[in-house]
Formats: sequence, structure tokens, C-alpha cells
Amino acid sequence: MLWLYLHFPHLLLDHLRRAHEAPGAMVIVSGPQQLVAQVCPQAQQQGVQVGMRLKTALTLVPDLAIHPADSAQETAVLAQQARWLYRYVAQIALCPPDGLLLEASSLRRLYGGLPALWHTLQQALAERRLTAWMATGLTPQATRLVARQGPEACEQEPERLKARVAALPLEAAGFEPRTRERLARLGLTRLGEVFQLPARELARRLAPETLAYIQQIQGLRPDPQTFWQPPHHFHQQVDFVREVEQAQGLLFPLQPMLAELEADLQWRQQDTDSLHLTLTHRDRDTTRLTLRTAGPEHRASTFGELIRIRLEQQPLAAPVVALALTVSRLLARDAPGGADLLGETTDLQEAWHTLLSRLQARLGDAALQRLAPEADHRPEHAWSGLPVQGRPAQPADSSIPPLRPLWLLTRPQPLQQTPVAWLSEPERINSGWWDGERVQRDYYIAQLPSGQVAWLFRDVLGGWFIHGWFG
Amino acid sequence: MSELLNTLLHDARVWQGHHQSRARLPGEHTGYAALDQQLDDAGWPVGALSECLLDHEGIGELQLVLPLMRRVAQAGQTVFWINPPYTPYAPALARHRIPLEQVVVIRPDSAGDTLWTLENCLRSPVTGLVLAWPGRLAGRDIRRLQLAAEAGHTTCVLFRPRRQARQSSPAALRLELEPAPHHGLRVNVLKRRGGWPGQHCQLDMAGRAGQSLPASPRVITGPWAGSQG
Repeated sequence: MLWLYLHFPHLLLDHLRRAHEAPGAMVIVSGPQQLVAQVCPQAQQQGVQVGMRLKTALTLVPDLAIHPADSAQETAVLAQQARWLYRYVAQIALCPPDGLLLEASSLRRLYGGLPALWHTLQQALAERRLTAWMATGLTPQATRLVARQGPEACEQEPERLKARVAALPLEAAGFEPRTRERLARLGLTRLGEVFQLPARELARRLAPETLAYIQQIQGLRPDPQTFWQPPHHFHQQVDFVREVEQAQGLLFPLQPMLAELEADLQWRQQDTDSLHLTLTHRDRDTTRLTLRTAGPEHRASTFGELIRIRLEQQPLAAPVVALALTVSRLLARDAPGGADLLGETTDLQEAWHTLLSRLQARLGDAALQRLAPEADHRPEHAWSGLPVQGRPAQPADSSIPPLRPLWLLTRPQPLQQTPVAWLSEPERINSGWWDGERVQRDYYIAQLPSGQVAWLFRDVLGGWFIHGWFG
Repeated sequence: MSELLNTLLHDARVWQGHHQSRARLPGEHTGYAALDQQLDDAGWPVGALSECLLDHEGIGELQLVLPLMRRVAQAGQTVFWINPPYTPYAPALARHRIPLEQVVVIRPDSAGDTLWTLENCLRSPVTGLVLAWPGRLAGRDIRRLQLAAEAGHTTCVLFRPRRQARQSSPAALRLELEPAPHHGLRVNVLKRRGGWPGQHCQLDMAGRAGQSLPASPRVITGPWAGSQG
């Protein structure tokens, strides 16, 4: 078995830096003593080191951005990395807080050798601006220990891999301090020297768990791994070290997220028609935005455009500290079919979805309406506005409706002028006694002095009203 | 002398009024023979703006665009009604055989949104016809819409108040509408691209209110009149 381990020396920093166009020097600070836990290369250049006190670091770099260590956040970010890595590697095990274990032997044939796989992963990491130390090994524990020491070269010879583990100093072997001290007193400095001791001797001197651990490193004892399964939804989050105050500032960090979403959807051969954006504010309730596209969609450019229109319409309520993109509605992608020889149908359908999505993103769903006649005698109830999504069923009855005006007034207006000409016999509408909106009216068509042809009615009380125009 | 005249005539810099360029602009028939004749058989221009200037709704202005709307909608293209002053009444449209699934009514909140919506609808290939009541429009806004209509190759009819007839406009066709006797509609051509303005005609719109009956000011009293009186 050949294993590959990715160790992210400053995963949280990489994650935070990705959200800004021009990230400055940044550190992660942990513990009550405020020690520097992770340092970005930029801060490192200016002399900040891991383990330094925060005060010292601030003296070196006055405009240092500081973020507290958060293991839960780091684990979430790690799962985010597993998601894209799953496209390249089938068997991934999470090693929180900062490592991913990949099973590599089954992939060698697919990629045509370990170096090709190594190269592919390095390219993918570089694209995402992530720093990871990679190493290969024969057992999961050994691979992990080697990778944590620093970037290694691609190696697959078993003997050399074994030698590499054996050469590890005891401090790097991840023993408890007491065990390490005990082994050091025996005069051992390297892991290889521990391996050479007989198991019986070790069992006498060390705790049973420690022995099991040593045997797992050597591969003498089974070390089963639980492999990660991708969840059935897409979720990505960016956290900002500097709060974002302008809606436009959210567009930059959104780009890589949408690109990731597109790649993910493409890889699953799925589409989606709704995106959820969650904007976290420092001391306000989170803002939730839901964006709908008119049809199934997977392209980042379309989503980006819709989000841009939406954010232009809606100024931020408060500065944003984190932005999350969730897609839980994944639709199976339809094979483009049903097009005619010239392929116009698909194009038009797509154009229709694009136009509708844009309009809805800017104007809101309620601003767009499709009209439909209703089977009711009352003029107000004889029509209804339907949402534009989906094609309405064709009305089945082919009977010719009665003569009606093309314009209907939302509420009848009192008639102010005396009509100059009457154009129709009265039409009595008496209906709706069952739902409390009773209508008892006599309708007429008449021409007003202004030349307009109106649809008038006289109600029970004898009042005259205009209810429509024959436009 | 005649040679000199001939040279002058063949000079491209001399514009000759009686030689109307017969280049046909793309257009859609209005469905009204009298109006088509006035418009030199060009009809509603495609890929350009048309304006209808009128004082009040209800004089037959929708009747004027109905034949075009019917043709466009039946061909499977979408008809957008943007910011209409009243509710387009579905039963009446169904009576006029307009496929309602092709009709979309949009009511933007602000003037800025209206312009944005108009531009987007005009540029889309799914749009067949845009009817819009844009309210106040600046000259440069109309110019933008004109460019959008050209880009999308769509037909757009703007309904605007008649007092804006004096404002210059880059629209390809401008019609002034006023009521005429016998419930008709008088159409004055204020401007048309590739031709002289000044024509007018009268269209019979009496059909929109049913067959024109002789005046019958007979008001019947309902059975409830007694209880009220």
C-alpha cells in the first residue's frame, strides 16, 4: 500500500488570504499567552516566527492582521479542501486539524505513475493558492509523520521510504512527552533505533497504546482508515480578516467560489436553480439571500452576473465578516434534446432563462406576471396573475369569451362626465354571493366626451363607475 | 449646359428629393390597410423604436397594435408589457386570440428599473414585441433604447403623452393618435424613417366595443331598485 499525505502548515491563513485581493501580513494567534501559531510567508519575511509572542510580532510588523486560532473553523476548511480533492482522489481520510491522507496505490494506473499524480495535485494546490507539504509513505502514520517535517520529493521506492521514516528524530514522532523522555533515557534519538528494539522489550517499558502506535508506524499492526464521503450539497465559506463594507467587495471572493461550484456541478453532471448566500455580520443577524435562476444552470459567469445585479440592488446592512455559498438543490442535468436541425430551440430556451433570471434578480419575483383568464363572472376575478416560472397549461375551453375591454382598472373609478354615446345593451352581472364579495352590477359600454370608450357599471346603490377602457 | 446638369445630377453629394431611396426597411404590417398605405407598406419598423403619442388610454391604441401582437405571439415569441397604466385584461386578450402564455407583464418599481428592463428585453432574442409606458424619457434614454432595439432586432412601441410630440426623438416611427368620430382612431404620421411625414388616416375601431349600435340610452332598473328606493 502506498499512501500520500497533504499537510497544510497554515491552512487557516491560506483560507483567509484567499478572500482578499491584496492580503497583507497575517498571523494566527492561539492560547491564553497569545503565541503566534501560524505565519504567512509575507510576515515570515519580516521576521515573525511561529511560537513568538504576539507583542513581539506586532513590534516587528505594526499593521499585522491577527486572527484567533479556531480548530472547528479549521476542520470545516479542511473538509472544503477534501471536496475538490475528491475529484482527483477516490479515497480521502481527514486528519484534523490540518492534514489529508490519500490512498495512492490504486491511482497509479489511472494517472500513469505516481509522479503524474504528484504533479496534478501540486498544480491543483497552486491554482487554489494553498501551501501543502506532500509526502509518500507505506503506512498512514509514517506518511503523516514524514509530511509534517516539511516538503518532500516524490518517492516510491519502499526501501528509501522506510529509511526516511527511520531517520526521523524522536521529537518528530508524535510521542507523549513522558514516553519521549523515557526513550531518550535509553539513549535513543531516532525512530529507526526504536524500531530495532524487540517488541517484548518495548512492551515491558512502554504503555500498550504507545507500542500499538509504533507498530502502526511500522505497518505491523492494522490501522483502518475511515474514508470521507462527499455530502450531497455544496457549501463553501470565506472568512474576512478585514470586514467588507461594500457589496462590490464581495464579488472578488465570490469568483473562486463560483468557479469551484461550476467545476463541482460539471463533475457531478448536475445543475442547480437556486443559490443561498449567507452574509455574517459582526453584531447583527446574518443576512440570507436566495437567488433563483429561471432554469437549471451551472455556469459561474451566469451566477456571478445574477449575484452582481442582486447586490447592486441591495446595499449591505452592516459590514460582512464571512460569506458562505450553499447549494442544496442539485438537479440532474438534462441531455440537450428536442432541438430542431438548426439547434435553435435550445438557444432560445437558454436566452429565455437568461433574460428571466436577470429580470427577477433585479426586480424581484413579484414584478413579473403572466396572465390567465379565470372561470368567474365577476370582472375582478375573471383573471389572475401567475408567476412566470414554468409554462402554464393551455386553457382547454375554446368558447369565445364575452366582449370585454382590454384595460381593466384595478379599482373602479367614479364616473365624472356624462357619456356622449351609449354603445351597448346592458349586461347584468350578479354573482359571488358565496364568498362575501358579491357583485350586483349592470355593465354598459359608452363613449365619454374625451373620446375614450369606457366600460361602465351601475351598482345596486345607483352609483356609476368606470371599470375599464376599450384601448 | 445640359452636360453640366448631368454631371451635377450624378454627383453623389447632390440629394434628390423625388428619388426616394426604395431600400426597404424591415417592417411588420400593421394589419390596417389604410395605415399600411400611408406608411408605404413598411408597417411597424423592426429593430427600431416606434412611438404612439396620445392623451388618454381607451381610444383604440391597443387595438392598433393587436394584429402585430397576435402575429408575434402566435409565432412563439414573447410579448412584454412594461409598466402598463392599467391591468391588461386576460379575458379580452383571450377573446382576441392572443396566446396568453407568450404575454409577460412587468411592473418595475422605479424609472431607472424601467429603462434597464426595457433595454434587457429589447436585446434578448426571445422578445418579439415590447409595449412600454415609460413615463418621462430623456433624449439620450430614447437613443439607448433605439440602439438596444437595433441590437436585438426587436419591435418596440412606446406609448407616451401627446405633449411630447414636440420633443425630438430618434424613434423610427412616430404616430400621433387622437379619437375620431364614430369611435374611430385618427393617426397622424409625425415622422417615419425613409419617407416624408405628414400623412394621416382614420381607422375604424368601432369593432372593439362590439358592433356599433345606434345610441340606446335605455337604462333598465334592476329588481333591487325597489328595495333601495
